Amino acid sequence: MKMLVVFEKMGAHRFLGHLDLQRAMQRALRRSGLPVTYSQGFNPHLQLSFAAPLSVGIQGEREIMEVPLSETISEADFLAKLNDTLPQNMKAKAAVLQEDKVAPAMARMAAATYVLRPDEHFEQLMAAVPGFLSQERIPFMKRGKAGIREEDLRPLIYNLMAKGDTLVTVLATSSKGTARADLLFTSLCEFAGIAPPRCLITRTALLDERFVPLEGA
Amino acid sequence: MDKQMQARLEALLETVQKPSRYTGGEVNEIKKDWAGKTTCCFAFPDTYEVAMSHLGMKVLYESINAQEDLLCERVMMPWTDMIEGLKEQGIPLYSLESRRALSAFDMVGFTLQYEMSYTNILKMLELGGIALHNKDRDENAPFVIAGGPCAFNPEPLAPFIDAFLLGDGEHATNEMLRAIGAGRKAGKNRAAILRDLAQIEGVYVPDLYEATYHEDGRLAAFTPLDKSAPLPVKKRIELDLNEAPFPTSIPVPYTQAVHDRIVLEIMRGCTRGCRFCQAGMLYRPVRERSPEQLFALAEQLVAATGYEEMSLSSLSTGDYSQLLELIKGLNERFCDQRVSLSLPSLRIDNQLQEALVDTAQVKKSGLTLAPEAGTQRLRDVINKGVTEEDLLRTVSEAFASGWNNVKLYFMIGLPYETDEDLLGIADLARKVVNCYYAIPKGQRARGLKVVVSASTFVPKPMTPFQWAAQDTLEEIRRKQALLRSALNIKGVTFNWHDPETSFLEACFARGDRRLAKVLYRAYELGCLLDGWNEHFKYDAWMQAFTDTGLDPAFYANRERDKDELMPWDLADIGVTKKYLWRENERARNAEVTPDCRLGCEGCGLTRFEGVCRG
Ligand code: SF4
Repeated sequence: MKMLVVFEKMGAHRFLGHLDLQRAMQRALRRSGLPVTYSQGFNPHLQLSFAAPLSVGIQGEREIMEVPLSETISEADFLAKLNDTLPQNMKAKAAVLQEDKVAPAMARMAAATYVLRPDEHFEQLMAAVPGFLSQERIPFMKRGKAGIREEDLRPLIYNLMAKGDTLVTVLATSSKGTARADLLFTSLCEFAGIAPPRCLITRTALLDERFVPLEGA
Repeated sequence: MDKQMQARLEALLETVQKPSRYTGGEVNEIKKDWAGKTTCCFAFPDTYEVAMSHLGMKVLYESINAQEDLLCERVMMPWTDMIEGLKEQGIPLYSLESRRALSAFDMVGFTLQYEMSYTNILKMLELGGIALHNKDRDENAPFVIAGGPCAFNPEPLAPFIDAFLLGDGEHATNEMLRAIGAGRKAGKNRAAILRDLAQIEGVYVPDLYEATYHEDGRLAAFTPLDKSAPLPVKKRIELDLNEAPFPTSIPVPYTQAVHDRIVLEIMRGCTRGCRFCQAGMLYRPVRERSPEQLFALAEQLVAATGYEEMSLSSLSTGDYSQLLELIKGLNERFCDQRVSLSLPSLRIDNQLQEALVDTAQVKKSGLTLAPEAGTQRLRDVINKGVTEEDLLRTVSEAFASGWNNVKLYFMIGLPYETDEDLLGIADLARKVVNCYYAIPKGQRARGLKVVVSASTFVPKPMTPFQWAAQDTLEEIRRKQALLRSALNIKGVTFNWHDPETSFLEACFARGDRRLAKVLYRAYELGCLLDGWNEHFKYDAWMQAFTDTGLDPAFYANRERDKDELMPWDLADIGVTKKYLWRENERARNAEVTPDCRLGCEGCGLTRFEGVCRG
C-alpha cells in the first residue's frame, strides 16, 4: 500500500528548493516512526514521490506526495503522527490510502490551480485579462536542453479570471506541457504594459485530466 | 520588527540567494517568551551553512534555553546580497527566532573559530545596530562577548569586545548572562557590570587592562587597571563531560549545512602533544563521555531530528578508551533505524575491523591520513607520532580491502624544515602508490586516487611553536613549486593554496591590541567574508597595514626570544610557558615526547586543583 499525502508549503517554506523539501519530509517521516519502506542498499532512504515540484518562491496549499508503506495504517493515524512532527506551515492536510497499483500522482497530474496576489496594479491587470486571453498565440522563450526556443503559452492556459483582489488560473502541468504561473504573470503584465509588480503566488490544487483534485473530490 | 519592516523583509527575501538562511523556523528551533528574561543572541560570524555545522552553537543554544530565566536566539553572517538588501531596506540584522535587532539583546555572543572571520564580526555589529568599539556603547547596548578557540589570544579584538570567555562555555555562559541580568536589574552601570563579569572564572574584560610597548614594537608590560581584574586569567574547564549539558534536540536546517548530521562529542582534550596543534594544548585535560551517556544522547537526537547520519567528534577519536564498545553499541542501536555512522580514518585495529565488517552502516568514505610532515625527522620535530611503517601498513590494508582513494595531509613551512623534508612528502606519496600496485590486479579496486594536500603552517599561540617565524610568502611559494614538480607522479594529485590567507592568519593569531587598528581599517576598506576565496582582498589588507603603520612581518615572520612577553600570556590555559619552551627545545633536537597518558610530562595542568592527576 502507499499513502497519498496532501500537505501545505506555505509562508517561509515557499523558499525551500525541491531537494530541501524532500529532505525535510524524509526526516519528518523518520521522526514520526511511521511504517514506511526504505530502499535497499548501502544508503537506504525513503522513496518519496512528489506529484510536481514547486518553483522556489511559490507557496503550495495542497501539494502532494506519495509514501510507500511497509505496513497498512489508518489514514487518521498516519495524519496525526506525521503532523506531530511536521513544522508549522508544512502540515499534512489529508492522507489517502491507496493500492500500489494506483497510477502515481505524478502520472495522473494534468493541471494545477494558482492564485496570484499582486501588490499593485490589480485593476489594470484585471482589465487586461479578456484581451490577453483572446490572443491567438502568447509566445514565450523556453530554455530547454537544445537551447532557448519559442513556445506558445496560450494552449496551456485553461482558465484565468479575477476573483476578489486576486487572479485565479488553471494551468497545464503535465509531461505534455507545463505553464509556469510566474511566467503567466509576467506575460500578462507585459500585455497590460506595466512593469511586473511583486506578486505572491499560491498553488491551490493539483488536478487530473478531468480537473478533479488528485487526492479525490 | 514592525509590520511594515516585516513586509519589506518578506519582499527582500524573495530576491536573495538561499532565503532559508534567514528565515529560521527549523524543526526544534526554540522560541521563548521574552518577558522577564535575560536575553542572548548567539552570533556565528560565518554563513548559516557553516554555523549550523558547528556543535558548540547547538550546545549553548540548548543549555541556555533550558534555563527558565534565560533565553538564547541565533544570528549568522549574511551573504553580500542580503547585506546590501538589509541596508537598502533599512532593516537591522536580526535574530532568526524573534526577528529582533541584535541591539535589542542583553548580550550578543560571538564564537571565534578562525581569525579570518574577524571582519565579519564588525560587519554584524554594524548591521545589528551596535557600536563597533566597546567604548562607544551606551548603557542600553548589549554586552558583546566572544569565546571559542581564538578567544585565547583575544587582543586583536580587544577594543570591539566587552568580555571574552576563555575555555569551556557550558556553565560560564549562563553565569555571564546572569551577571548581566542581575546587574541591569540592580541598576548598575556598564562599567560595574563589566567588573562583575571579570569575577567569573575564565572571563577576560580587556578594558580592565593596559598594554605598553617597547620602541621596537614588542610588548613591554601588561597590567590590570583595576584590582578586580585577575592576571593571568585562568581558563574555564568543565571537569566532567557526563555532567556537562549536551543538546538532545538540535535545530535541523532545511538548506544543507556543511556537516548536516548528528555530531556526538565523545571526548574533549588530547594528550598526544603534537607541537603545532593549538587545540591539543588548549583543551587539556582529556575528558571522556561515557558510552552509556552517548547511547542515550544519540537515541534522543535521532528521535528528535530524523537525521540519517551520525559522526563522532574529538581531537583524536582513536584514543577514546572504549571505542570498540561505543561503535558496536551505536551500530547495534541504529542499524535498524537506518542511521549510518561515519567514522574518521582511524588506525582501525583488527578487533574493530571485525566489529565493522558486515555493518554496511559504517560509511566508507575515502581514507584520510595526516602525517603532516614528509620525513621521520620532521615528524619527530613536530611530535607527530606516526611512523612510515604504520602509515604504509594502514594504506596497504585499505587497498587490500577495496579502497582506492587516499588523502594525505601535510604542512609546509614547519619549523626546522629542510628541502629534504619536502621531498620526503613526494617519497611517501610514491610509496603509497607502490602499496596499491603491490596488490595484484583483480584484488584491488580500480582507479587509484591519491590526493596530497599541503597547507601553509601557521605558528599558533600557546603551542611550542609560538616563538617561531612563519616562512615568508616567497619562501612558501618556492616550497610549493618544489613540491609541485616533485609530486608529478601518476595517480597523485597535489592540492595547495595561495599562502596569503595563512600569512594574515599568522598575524592575527599572534597579534597584539594594536592590530585592532588594522582590522578596523581593513573593514573600512571593504574586507569581508575573508574566509571565502572569492571575497578575500589581500591588497586591501596590506593597505590596512600600511595605513596604520604596522608591519605584518613583525607579527608573522619574526622569531621571538624565549622570554618575550607575549600578548596571550594574559591567559593561563594550564599548560605553562616553561613546558612549551622545553617542547620547543626538544623540537629543535628532533626529540619526541611520548603521549602523557603513559606518564606525566609535567605540562603544568596539575597546578589547577583536581584537573589532572598528572
Ligand atoms: S599534567 Fe601531565 S598528565 Fe596531565 S595533561 Fe599535563 S602532561 Fe599530561
